[in-house]
Amino acid sequence: MRRALPVVLLMLLLPFHILGLQAVTREWKSLPKGDDIAYVIPSPILKVTSLEFKGLTSDVMFLRALVFFGGLLERGNIQETKKWEWRWIHDTLNASTDLDPYFYDPYYFGEAQLTWGANMIKEANTLLDKGSKYRDWDWMLPFFIGFNHFYFLQENDKASEYLMTASKRPGGSSMFASLATRLAYKGQRTENAIVFVEEMLKEEKNESVREEFETRLEALKGILLLERAVIVYKDRFGIAPFSLKDLITAGIFAKLPEDPYGGEFYIALDGSIKTTSDLRLMK
Amino acid sequence: MTPLWPVAVITFKEGIRNRAVYGISLFALMMMAVNLLISDMIMQEVGKVSVDIALSSISFLGLLLVLFVGINLLAKDLDKRTIYMVLARPISRGEYIIGKFLGMVLLIVVTMSILCMFAVASIFLVKMRYSGYFPRFSWPMIFLSISFTTLSLILLSALSFLFASFASTSFISLILTIAAYIIGHSMTDVKALVEASQSVGIQVAPFTVKLVQIAYYIFPNLSIFDIKTQAAHDLAIPMSYIFWAVSYGLVYTCIVITIASLIFRKREFP
Repeated sequence: MRRALPVVLLMLLLPFHILGLQAVTREWKSLPKGDDIAYVIPSPILKVTSLEFKGLTSDVMFLRALVFFGGLLERGNIQETKKWEWRWIHDTLNASTDLDPYFYDPYYFGEAQLTWGANMIKEANTLLDKGSKYRDWDWMLPFFIGFNHFYFLQENDKASEYLMTASKRPGGSSMFASLATRLAYKGQRTENAIVFVEEMLKEEKNESVREEFETRLEALKGILLLERAVIVYKDRFGIAPFSLKDLITAGIFAKLPEDPYGGEFYIALDGSIKTTSDLRLMK
Repeated sequence: MTPLWPVAVITFKEGIRNRAVYGISLFALMMMAVNLLISDMIMQEVGKVSVDIALSSISFLGLLLVLFVGINLLAKDLDKRTIYMVLARPISRGEYIIGKFLGMVLLIVVTMSILCMFAVASIFLVKMRYSGYFPRFSWPMIFLSISFTTLSLILLSALSFLFASFASTSFISLILTIAAYIIGHSMTDVKALVEASQSVGIQVAPFTVKLVQIAYYIFPNLSIFDIKTQAAHDLAIPMSYIFWAVSYGLVYTCIVITIASLIFRKREFP
């Protein structure tokens, strides 16, 4: 009897333990308290406290953001995500990349969710800027920033700047270069675009890509020439030319430069030089 | 020099027989499983995360070895009074300390080699499964990082010997060694914070800055040996850095062990 007593006692206690734990967990959920997940430990503190495990802490922070986002997806409509929830994801990704700024995944995840989902374009760009600075071999990050500037913020100048950076990095497609020059041209940054294409020409070995660059360069030089002529015209007559023909009448040009893409240059309403080909080969 | 070797061998055997070593191996096996599990959740840089997990767990396990096996090796001789038997032999106290330390170094190197095999196996398994997600990866950097960790553990172990040479119980040396470890890994950050306090908007007295700068030369700087981030991303480490880091580690270790043997020579036993 004496020996059986502890066993019997255990048998009796075990159901009470399970019952009690279930009840207290249920009650705990309804306790009045703040959102316990709503803050992120600042990265300077994380840096000191994670000692030599900064890389691992960075991984854990990223996984936390990922799991949290998974929770949002499970809840249903992602559009109903609250502002603080997006902010939390952003802060966590930021802390993760403060601990290991070379870690690609938080940037990748940030680009996918903070832009399309949260509409936090500026924050996403700041995050990606950090990544682009450290991962200087990676063309994806400046390409993402360029895309965000172009698509979400409609800042072509900035977009072209980042696309230029992206195309210069190893593995970056030469397509970015032509995209960048197009944006630069629209953003009235002709000189920059010329320098950039010349730079790309130096590096490029592929003959057909070189040809494309040379055409683009010629067109941009034509535009630059016309832009400068317009300035000379303004200096001389005090007013802007009405059309490019005025430049010939004024004697600045004998003949207007030709658009190698087959279009025609004209003065747009905002006073900038444009071409009917829009820097695409006209068939 | 002759009495050093037997002491070292006995210390090594004593250490390897310790049950903690089995526990450490078990933990290493768990690390392999965790590595496979976590790598499933990563979208892009699987390689980086798996190297992180492997190298971090090696560091952690090495730390456990130094803290719970290493400290006891010396302390047990003192606590159980077996040191009288050793010192009755024709061996000086200095030789005893150095011999013990060499045994500990041997133990650290052998254990780290075993852990290194576990780490390599776990990374290899993940790499087989997700070979396309290892964009920047190099085995030499991983081995270099593990060697650096080994060196930092030897340095920490030397410090634990220094603390054991004057502390009255092994518990005190344990606490002091943990403190040295934490200081060693946060020293660089704290120094950077104090020296550029304006940038984060805090006020630091000039005296504090000087104090931290002096402390920088006294306490070990263990973060020098932490190149896990560089190993995980295959970032270049110049040969000169390796040379200076290794020489710093060796010189600091020698200084600490010399001081330990000096203190131990003057120590009176109850």
